[in-house]
Amino acid sequence: MTETSVILALVVVTALGFDFTNGFHDTANAMATSIATRALRPRTAVALSGILNLLGAFLSVEVALTVSNAVVRIQNPDGTPKESLTADGGQALLLIVLAGLIGGIVWNLLTWLFGLPSSSSHALFGGLVGATIAGLGWAGVNWNGNGSKLDGVVGKVILPALLSPVIAGVVAAAGTWLIYKVTVGVAQRFTENGFRWGQIGSASLVSLAHGTNDAQKTMGVITLALIAAGDWTDTKNIPFWVKASCALAIALGTYLGGWRIIRTLGKGLVEIAPPQGMAAESSSAAVILASSHLGFALSTTHVATGSILGSGVGKPGAKVRWRVAGRMVAAWLITLPAAAVVGAVMWYLGDFVGGLAGASVIFALLLVLAAVMWLRSRVKPVDQSNVNDEWDTAPAVEDERVPAGTAAS
Amino acid sequence: MSTLGFALEGAWKVLAAGLILGAGLPVLFALGIRALAWGAGGAAEVSHARPQPIGKVVAYALFAIVVLGVLLGITFIVASGFGKTISFDHLYPVIVDK
Repeated sequence: MTETSVILALVVVTALGFDFTNGFHDTANAMATSIATRALRPRTAVALSGILNLLGAFLSVEVALTVSNAVVRIQNPDGTPKESLTADGGQALLLIVLAGLIGGIVWNLLTWLFGLPSSSSHALFGGLVGATIAGLGWAGVNWNGNGSKLDGVVGKVILPALLSPVIAGVVAAAGTWLIYKVTVGVAQRFTENGFRWGQIGSASLVSLAHGTNDAQKTMGVITLALIAAGDWTDTKNIPFWVKASCALAIALGTYLGGWRIIRTLGKGLVEIAPPQGMAAESSSAAVILASSHLGFALSTTHVATGSILGSGVGKPGAKVRWRVAGRMVAAWLITLPAAAVVGAVMWYLGDFVGGLAGASVIFALLLVLAAVMWLRSRVKPVDQSNVNDEWDTAPAVEDERVPAGTAAS
Repeated sequence: MSTLGFALEGAWKVLAAGLILGAGLPVLFALGIRALAWGAGGAAEVSHARPQPIGKVVAYALFAIVVLGVLLGITFIVASGFGKTISFDHLYPVIVDK
């Protein structure tokens, strides 16, 4: 086994690790509302979402090999790696990809620890941008495309991130408001039972769409690494084991359930009733599908959060915890730069040590950081048993506001 | 056109489609629930009115439209996985190459 193939193995393992974090980070997008309204038991919800993600990942036959082209210039338009990066047997490209993936994972784990739903694609793109800036300089980043279409960091990441929560929020608010108008006069229990079914259906659609979109990104990254190392040449197809392992990784991650994030989205923002849950998930599903139809790249996380906020705004008399929403928006704003910083630091470190040793050092560092954050999460665990506990009794800071809130409602 | 222009152009289309499908279908579903309650009468309604059998028929017709909308969504997800997309050029949806 050559040095390159060992680095390649590290990249593949890290990419699958990222796919896994992508799964549990995003379970909340589809299932937080169904869990919060008790339309589904928590374990059932994550199992359903996991299965649909697995199915969705296998359904994506199309190759997402050029996924990195949206933000960095390490690939040719046909998906093959830039020749300048493969001159030394592919190690230059592999190090950029490895450092970028580590940046994405570290940021995903940190935001999970704080229970913040941040975009996994932004974390991946951020890590890649940082590692590319470190490795190739600022010119290696595709900031704005060539101006002929929506492209680059600005067009594919920043602008959609600003617009998508607003769009999803407006749609969900309109839906919620109309639903409550229409169902005036229907007994509450009758309404809620009916909407639980609608909610499960729309949440399943979001899970399926998530599997087709997000697993593809990791498949593209792994295939790029394989091509760079000279182990694969076909740019029109991806190896079956890549597809199968990515599908399994994202499904297992989803099944594990990011309970901390589910809790924030399901209980932290708005007290969700089944009609609101259905309006929110329908809005998410429609916005995600419409945007992928129109080639407008959106983050599932931003859409889902916007929808849930919208369902709080649309229900007359509902209370929205804007302070929690503000923390989320802050996390979104720093996701790209923060993951970029980690990616860049990892690249410098890996490059400084050099070769296989460098790659091994940053991989080991990732394992240490992941272990530290996991241990930290055990101090105050959130799982299926306490995911639906009352929000206001949990954090001390929010406690002072309870009397005012209860008096108003 | 500037990047911001492209983004806004994409955004309003997503908003329009989102409102029609993402808010429209749930409202049809809500109308279905309303009709179902009207059909069931009694405890299903705040007014405890008498059951109206026609309500059930209306309800299931509305639910059928919602199911068609969801099937369209699933078809789109599956089709895009195979490198196809759905064209709305002829009023009714057709699966075409991307």
